[in-house]
Amino acid sequence: MRHFGKALTAAVILVAALSQAASADTLDKIKSAGVIRIAIDLSVPPWSFKDENLNPTGSEVEAAKLLASDLGVKMEIVSTNGANRIPFLLSNRTDVVMSALSITDERKKLIAFSLPYAGATTYVAAPKSMDIRTLADLSGKRIAVTRGTTNDADLTAAAPRDAEIIRFEDEATTMTSVVSNQVDLVAQVPTLVDLINKKNPAKNLEPKLPLRTALMGVGMRKEDAELKQWVDAWVKTNIANGKLQEVFKKFQGTDLPKEVVTASQ
Amino acid sequence: MTYHFDFGAVLAHWPLLLEGVWTTLRLTLFSTVFGILIGAFCAVIRTGGPTWARAVVSLYVEFIRNTPLLVQSYFLIFGIASLGIRLPILIGATIALTVNIGAYTTEIVRAGIESIHRGQLEAATCLGLSRTQTYLHVIIRPALERVYPALASQYVLLMLASSIVSSVGVEELFGMSNRIQSETFRNFEIFVVLGVIYLLLAVLVRTGFALLGLAIFPRRRKLGTPL
Repeated sequence: MRHFGKALTAAVILVAALSQAASADTLDKIKSAGVIRIAIDLSVPPWSFKDENLNPTGSEVEAAKLLASDLGVKMEIVSTNGANRIPFLLSNRTDVVMSALSITDERKKLIAFSLPYAGATTYVAAPKSMDIRTLADLSGKRIAVTRGTTNDADLTAAAPRDAEIIRFEDEATTMTSVVSNQVDLVAQVPTLVDLINKKNPAKNLEPKLPLRTALMGVGMRKEDAELKQWVDAWVKTNIANGKLQEVFKKFQGTDLPKEVVTASQ
Repeated sequence: MTYHFDFGAVLAHWPLLLEGVWTTLRLTLFSTVFGILIGAFCAVIRTGGPTWARAVVSLYVEFIRNTPLLVQSYFLIFGIASLGIRLPILIGATIALTVNIGAYTTEIVRAGIESIHRGQLEAATCLGLSRTQTYLHVIIRPALERVYPALASQYVLLMLASSIVSSVGVEELFGMSNRIQSETFRNFEIFVVLGVIYLLLAVLVRTGFALLGLAIFPRRRKLGTPL
C-alpha cells in the first residue's frame, strides 16, 4: 500500500511536470524544434493555392514564409479547409493559422489574433462607364448579390430604398446573372468580380463603392502570449518596411487595404 | 435532443413573409389566367387544327413537358439576356410559369375535348350553330367542366412549383423565407411556418377554383351534379 502511495505521488508529480511542459509557450517550442506549423487552406486563390507544379503559393503562403524565415525556423504547412482553421488551432494540430482569417468578435472569444497583416474589401462593382460615386447613386439600379452573405446584409443596410436588390441562391448564379447581362451591378468579393470580367470582358466591371473591409490576422491560441507579442512586432516591422504590402499586391493585384496599414502602424 | 423553438424570431419578419405571399399569389394569378387561355387555344388546335399547326403545338407541349421548369426559367432569365434581350426578372419568371402551365393545360383540355361525344357535335350541326358557337358552347365549356378537377389540381401544383423561380432571383414566398433563414438561422421554424402558409395558399387556390367553377358552369350551379 505504501508503494502504491509512492507511485501515486510520483505519477502526480510527473503529470504536473508534463502539463508544465505543455503550457510552456509555443514560441519556445517552435524555436527549439526549428519548425513552425502554419495552418493554411490551399484552395482559395489568390490567397493560398497550389501552382502548376503543385507547390503552395499565394499571398498567405508568401507571408507565412516571410514569418518563418524572420523567426529563423522552417515552415511546415498544415493543410486545412475553411471550417477547420480554428479547430486545428484549438486541438494543437498547428501553431498558428494564416489563412485569410478575418478578425471577428465571435472568433476573438475562442482565439487570439495578431495585428492585421492582410485584408479584403468588398465592393459594389459596376461597369466602368456607369457613373456611381455615392450610395445614393444606386437608387433605381438593379444589383445582384448572393442571398444570406455578408454582402447581402451590408448592401441591404446601405443601399437606398428604391434600389432593386436581386438575390440569388449561390455565388455561381449571381455571377451567371451578371455574365449573361441580366444584371449590371454586383456586390461580391473582388476575386469573383475579376472572374466575371474574364468570362465576359465586355462587362468591364470595376469596384465603385466599398461596403466593408475585413481585417485578417494571424490566429493563435489565447495562452500563447509570448508568441502573440513576437508576431505583433513582426507585423508592425513588415508593414513599416513594406514587405507585406509587396506580397499582397503581387498576388491580389490590388494594394493592401488602407485600414490594414493604419491598424498595424 | 433539446431544441428551443423560437417562432417569435421568424414571425417578427412578417412583412417579408407577406411580401413573399403577395408575389407568389401574383405569379400564380397571372400564369393561371394566361395558362388557361393558352391551354384552351392550343387544345382546340391540337384536336381540330390544320396539320402543320398541330405539329407546332405538339412540339411545344412535348418540349415543355419533358424539360425541367428550372431549366426553362434559367433559359428565360439568363439565356435570353445573353442575347441582349433583358426581361425584368419577375416578368421572365411569370412567362416561364405561364408557358410551362400552358403546355400541361393543353393536354388536360385536349382530353376533355376528346371526351365530347360525336352526337353532341351532330346535334349542334342540326341546330344550325356556327363553328364558333359549336366550339364555345358545345365543345370547350363542357370539356373544361369535365376536366375541371384535374385542372384545379394542376394549378395548385403550379402555385407550389412557383417556389422554383426563387433560384433565378424572384423573392416569392420561398425566396423570402430563405432570406429570413439566413438572418435568423431558425431554419426549422421557418420550414414549419412555410408549410402552414403554403397549405393555406393551396386551400385558397382550391376554393377560388371551386367558386370560379360555380360561376362559369351554370349547369353545375343549377343541378349540383358533375357532368
